[in-house]
Amino acid sequence: MKIGQALKVIDTGWIKKDKGYRVHYQRQTGNEVTTEYTPDLDDAPLDSDVAAWRTAWKLQQATQTENSEFGEGKMINIYVVNDQGEQVKYYKTNELKIYNKV
Amino acid sequence: MESEFVKLQRIGDIMSSHGRELAFALIFLIVGLYLSKFLTKYLRLGLSRITNNLNLISIISNSFYILFLLAVIMVASTQAGFKAQIVFRFLMVAGLAAVGILVLFRPYIPSLPYKVGNTIKVGDVLGKVEATTFLNTRIKTFDGLTVFIPNRQILDDIVINYHFTGTRRVKVDVGIGYDQDILKAKRIMEEIMLADPRVKKTPRPVVYTMDLEDSWVKLGGRAWVDNPKFWITRCDLIEKVKYRFDKENIRIAFPQLDIHHYELPESFDLAGEEIPA
Repeated sequence: MKIGQALKVIDTGWIKKDKGYRVHYQRQTGNEVTTEYTPDLDDAPLDSDVAAWRTAWKLQQATQTENSEFGEGKMINIYVVNDQGEQVKYYKTNELKIYNKV
Repeated sequence: MESEFVKLQRIGDIMSSHGRELAFALIFLIVGLYLSKFLTKYLRLGLSRITNNLNLISIISNSFYILFLLAVIMVASTQAGFKAQIVFRFLMVAGLAAVGILVLFRPYIPSLPYKVGNTIKVGDVLGKVEATTFLNTRIKTFDGLTVFIPNRQILDDIVINYHFTGTRRVKVDVGIGYDQDILKAKRIMEEIMLADPRVKKTPRPVVYTMDLEDSWVKLGGRAWVDNPKFWITRCDLIEKVKYRFDKENIRIAFPQLDIHHYELPESFDLAGEEIPA
């Protein structure tokens, strides 16, 4: 096997390189719970998971209330997803993390 | 004395016969100069809303300024009584001569090693070039300062232009304790760099065991990224490496000095030499 082929095997089998990140969250609008992303799916994703996780944390900080019940305006299930919509591990703990998990 | 008087008389004659035209021409010239600067400024602002290409904006607005200025000079000259055809020919000849001289002597004219919009470092000043004139260069630093540097000084100094190459190498150097697993630390660092979308696939990111320092083993991560993303990628990679090392129980070393205390027998003095009986 040539070194180029070996590198291809390594690239496909070892570390997956995401193309971008979005913050996933859900919120109640009327009687429905809608799933939204920031940046929007129409916009370019963030290229930094650090920035994405920081945004997720800020969203949680901005929308958390003393009342723990899920209600109008409150954001739940905030986490970071990659360009494929798959949940991304939190870089600090290397584990999956969800803010305001319901 | 008489000749001076004749000269003054001649000027007086000209002013009495053509004074009105000359005054109008002067007013036209002054207003035209102000107007050309004013319009160019707004053209530049308008173009900056359409495109981010600073070079294109500069070329279009400078061309407009020169053409407008030529038109003002032509109209003012004809107002002063010169024939339009002669003024036009004179301006054409002067313009062509200027272009010819520029083309001919361009290799010998020292040029600045950057363009508007480039990020450069001159001496201790790091920032983005906002404008260049014949005399100085205006740089906006990343902390918001506007610095004017004389071009003469720039031509004599070392200039780093970060736009000449599209990519730049990020260095992530970390020191780990001597009792830590080097291979595990290298694997983690390489994984973090490979997974980052901003890190280039070629040249591939690499982690080296750089040195055996006094109290730590120095690991050096090297990855290539696009120039505009250099700084933030470096900061992110350092943060990710720190947290992952904490998570994986790899101890980042800090400067330390081990002091060993030995009990010496009483027959030895402080220098460690045996005291003769």
